[in-house]
Formats: sequence, C-alpha cells, structure tokens
Amino acid sequence: MSSAWQFYIATLVIYAFVYIIAASGLNLQFGVAGIYNFAFIIFQAAGAYTTGVLSLGRPGSTGLQTYILGLHLPFPVPLLVSGVVAGLLGVGVGAVTIRRLRADYLAIALLVISLIATDLVTNATGLFNGATGLSLIPQPFASVTSSSTAYDWIYAAYAGVVCILVVLAVRVIIRSPLGRCLRALRENENAAAAIGKNVAGLRLFVFGVGGAIAGLSGSVLVSFTQAWAPSSWLYGETFVLFTALIVGGVGSNLGPVLGALLVPVVLAEGSRYLPAFGAPTLVPSLEWILIGVILVVFLWFRPTGLIPEPRRVYPRAWRAGGADENRPNLVDDDQRVAQGLVAR
Amino acid sequence: MSGSSPAPQPAARPAPQPAGQKVVDEILEVHDLVRSFGGVRALTGCSFGVERGSITALIGPNGAGKTTLVNVVAGAIRPQGGKVLFDGRDITGRPSHEVALGGLIRTFQISREYPAMTVLENLMVSPQRQAGEKLATVLFRPGKFRAEERAHVQRAVEVLAEFGLYGKRNDYARALSGGQKRLLELARAVMADPKMLVLDEPMAGINPALIERLADHISRLRDERGTTFLMVEHNLDVVEKMCDRAIVMAVGQTLATGTMAELRGNSEVVSAYLTGGVVEVGAKG
Repeated sequence: MSSAWQFYIATLVIYAFVYIIAASGLNLQFGVAGIYNFAFIIFQAAGAYTTGVLSLGRPGSTGLQTYILGLHLPFPVPLLVSGVVAGLLGVGVGAVTIRRLRADYLAIALLVISLIATDLVTNATGLFNGATGLSLIPQPFASVTSSSTAYDWIYAAYAGVVCILVVLAVRVIIRSPLGRCLRALRENENAAAAIGKNVAGLRLFVFGVGGAIAGLSGSVLVSFTQAWAPSSWLYGETFVLFTALIVGGVGSNLGPVLGALLVPVVLAEGSRYLPAFGAPTLVPSLEWILIGVILVVFLWFRPTGLIPEPRRVYPRAWRAGGADENRPNLVDDDQRVAQGLVAR
Repeated sequence: MSGSSPAPQPAARPAPQPAGQKVVDEILEVHDLVRSFGGVRALTGCSFGVERGSITALIGPNGAGKTTLVNVVAGAIRPQGGKVLFDGRDITGRPSHEVALGGLIRTFQISREYPAMTVLENLMVSPQRQAGEKLATVLFRPGKFRAEERAHVQRAVEVLAEFGLYGKRNDYARALSGGQKRLLELARAVMADPKMLVLDEPMAGINPALIERLADHISRLRDERGTTFLMVEHNLDVVEKMCDRAIVMAVGQTLATGTMAELRGNSEVVSAYLTGGVVEVGAKG
C-alpha cells in the first residue's frame, strides 16, 4: 500500500477513535443521564487547547502565535491535564446551569454557552491565538520513529488505547448502581430526589466526567492534527455527535461506537468519493443536510437507534423452584443471582 | 400560636397499643409553616404532629394547602417561615434527598415511576447509600458492591412479591397499568426502608378493589415494620377505616385534629368541607 493510502487510512482510524471517545462521553451525559448537552464540543475544545498550550512551549518559539501558559510538558501530562481541565470546566458549566434549568431550557442555555465560547476564543486573541488558532503543536511520539507512516500507525494505536479505556470505563459506569442512579435521574428527577438521590451532585458528576472524556478526545485529536482553531469546534460538531448517538443507540454501550463509525466517519468521509458537481461548496453543504435528515429519520422511525439500550434483566433463577409465577423461590438461587447481576 | 385550632383536642388518642397515658411520641412535628406563591397564601401557619407508628390522614378541601405541606415537609419547597422536625432533627428547608436519607420518603399525587427501567430496577434504585454509587468503587473495587447488589436483588424480589408485582418484574414500568404504578410507587418507597412515608393521594383514580389492597398494604407495613404514615386522602370512608387520626386543613392552616368520629361532630370541619374554609373569599382550586 502506498504511503499516501496508509496515511489516509491511519487518519481515518484515528478520527474514528476520537469520535468514539467523544460519543461515549456524550452518551454518559445525554444517553444515560438525559442531559441535553448542546455545548459538548466546547469540552473537546478545552482539552485540545489545553494540550496545545502545554505542548507548544513558550510563545514566540513557534512563529507569531500568542497564547497563554506556553509550557512544554512531556507526553502523558498534557493528555491527563486536558481531561482534568475539561472536567472542571464541565463541573463549572454544570454548576452555573444547574439550579433552575432543565431539559429544553438547559439545552438552549448550553447552546448559547457554546456560541459564546466560540466568540470569546475568536476575539480574545491572547488566549489561544484567536481565529487563526494554534498550530505546529508538537507530536508526542516524534522521537520514537522518523518514518511518518510508522508514526501514524503508532499514533493510531495510542488513540485506540485511550479509546478502549474510555469505552470500558463508561461501560462499567453504565452497568453499575451509579449508572442506574443516572438513568433514574433521566427518567424522573423528582422521584429520584424523593427517594434519597443527590440529584444536583449526580448532575455535576455527569457534567464533570462527560467533560473530562470530551477533553481526552480533544487532546488525542489535536496532538495528531497539530492545529486547533475556533473553526474546528463550531456548535454544529455537537450535533454530529448527537446524530451519531441517536443513530447508534442512545444509552447502550456499543451504540455510540457504532454511531461514531457510521455518521462522522462513513457518512462524512463517504461524500469525498462523490463525483464533483455544482458549486464547490455544494457537496459539503449536502453533507450537513444529510446529517440533519438522518437525525430526523431516526428520531421518527427508530428513536432507540440501531443498538437500543438493553433491558436490564436479572436472571430467571428465582422462578426455578416453583410453578407459581407470582411467588419467588429465594432459597437455592444465591449463586445464579450472583452471576446474573450483570445485565444481559 | 396563630395556627392552633380552637377545636376540641381529642382527650384520648386511639393508640394502637392499649398502653395507658404515656407521653405521645411524635415522629414528625410541624410548627407554624408559612408559604406563599405570589399572592396565593398556600400555608398560613400550619402546625401539627404525627405520632410514631400511626397512620394519620391529612384531609381538607381542595386548595387547603395539603400538597404544598407535603412538598415543604419533604424538602421539595422551602417554607418562608416555621419549622419541620423529623425524628428529633430539624429538617426545615433541607433538600429532598437529605430528608429522604433521614428516613422520610414521600410519594407523589401522580405516579412517578422510571418508565424506561424495569419494575425490578425501579426498586433497585431505592436502597440508600449504595456502595456502588461511588465512582471510585465502581471503577476500582467492583467486588465491593457485588454482594450488596445481590442482597438488594433478593430484597427487591421479596418486596415485589409482597405487592403482587413479581410477575411484572422484568416489564418496563411504563407498561404497567395505573393501579400497578400506584403499587410500584409504594413498593419503591418501601424498598428505601423509610421510618415514615408521606403519601400524596395514594388512592386517587384507582378502583375500589385496588383501594382495599393498597389499604391492606399500608396497614401491614405499619404493623410489620412500624412505619409511620401520613397520607393526604379525599376518600373519607378510607380514612375512617384505616387511619388512627385525621388532621383537617383549610386555607393553609390546621383546622382540627382527631378521630373521624370526633371530626364529624365538629361544625367547623363540616363547614370547611362545604365552603372551602372561608365563606367570603372562597378557595381557588
């Protein structure tokens, strides 16, 4: 395979991992806890900018960029700090919006926050170099190999490791009593509060963890693209992720994975192979239209997505002893109960 | 006390135990609660006590402030004045979940199940302070909550069997009938192991046979677990049959307390039911 093709495929793989990480984070917030985080992309951006300013070194050493901090920290540090920063930003945004805003009003407020954030970063040029954005962000594994093809595959492996860890962590959370609490929050917040769940705390938790995961995705992405600007995180990107979730399956473990592969990767990349027609901006515009249409079609005909949230069933063990469907047999099924705690 | 009622206080409470003249142990005390919504004065100095281990009814005409009172007691609404003491602790204005963790659980006038979760899962949410609700435990010490989870499944199944919902355990809660949702609401509250249950119109909109079953469940819970009940109820026959005492509210205050027999002879109570409490103004729905 020519190195151009390898570069292309490795890039696709890395993007796929980044989208899967992000979709998993959004799944925790939207799919599990029911929070319409229409500002999701700003947490990815926070992670990306953090990694940028923690890798670039002093301003002035890299062309005419102006930005804050300007440290040059070794590899895993920018990734981890990005997660923490985006997580804290999540908790902050959650705390600001938590008191009275719910559901659709919360969604509106978050969308506005997303727009404000874009304007702020674009115009406060001292923060992250304004509209031009950060560029020449150093590659974390540059010292490992001099072959750029090999580098891309190494990077893909790294993105894959982060992706797997995130997907596993989200999966464990979803299946735990904590995940059950979050679903109760989604289903009926007042009822969950009345039974003793700290609803405000759980919401902040989800804003924090979801934000941190988004931050990780931004960090992985930016160290690969080596550039990041406000045009990389316009609010529309959030809706690509929402579409991915809704197509894949809201609230399930693998739904976000499948959705992230189908919508941003296959669909958006697929349009590249269309023959050129019309004005040069026509095909990219059609891409957005298509994403919107797919979103509506799924909401209309298959709102649960391709992989619906599983019904969590505890085993039939209790019935084993008795013919009476309405009387559980609790005596000899301890062991099977223990095995069956995990959702089917 | 502006909220105290001029009505004759019952001389002897119909205590479940035949024990003599001991001091009444009140698990819930409400003192002079005040709450307005704009110009609507929903609570205007409401005071009463609920005896531990009793089934007490909260009755009164529409607009008397019963649901507001439940919301204030359970922490869903903050009062503008007054005090709520539960089990000796001041819980005035504490958030809902703290009140619930203290052992006072409320249910809602309209059933609030978790629709897209199974019936069994609806109950599994209830146990309080679960180890598996902490992120660090979930990620790094999953073994720690497995055993607890197993015990909760066992208990949830038992509770479901008690309430005749065992056969429905794997159905989504949204698929239950209105009556079954009522049972689920109570079962879910019981699963939290409360000291006291505050039920907001538990019998509203269900058929007579199910009313009887619910009443049996409530009496059984009181007898078996010693749970105290305060229930808002409009069906006075039900109140008469199952409640030890009733508290009558009108226009945001306690009008009278006593057994149904005593209240029946109280002309103020009768007139409150006919007029909404204030003849000139009339209570808004």
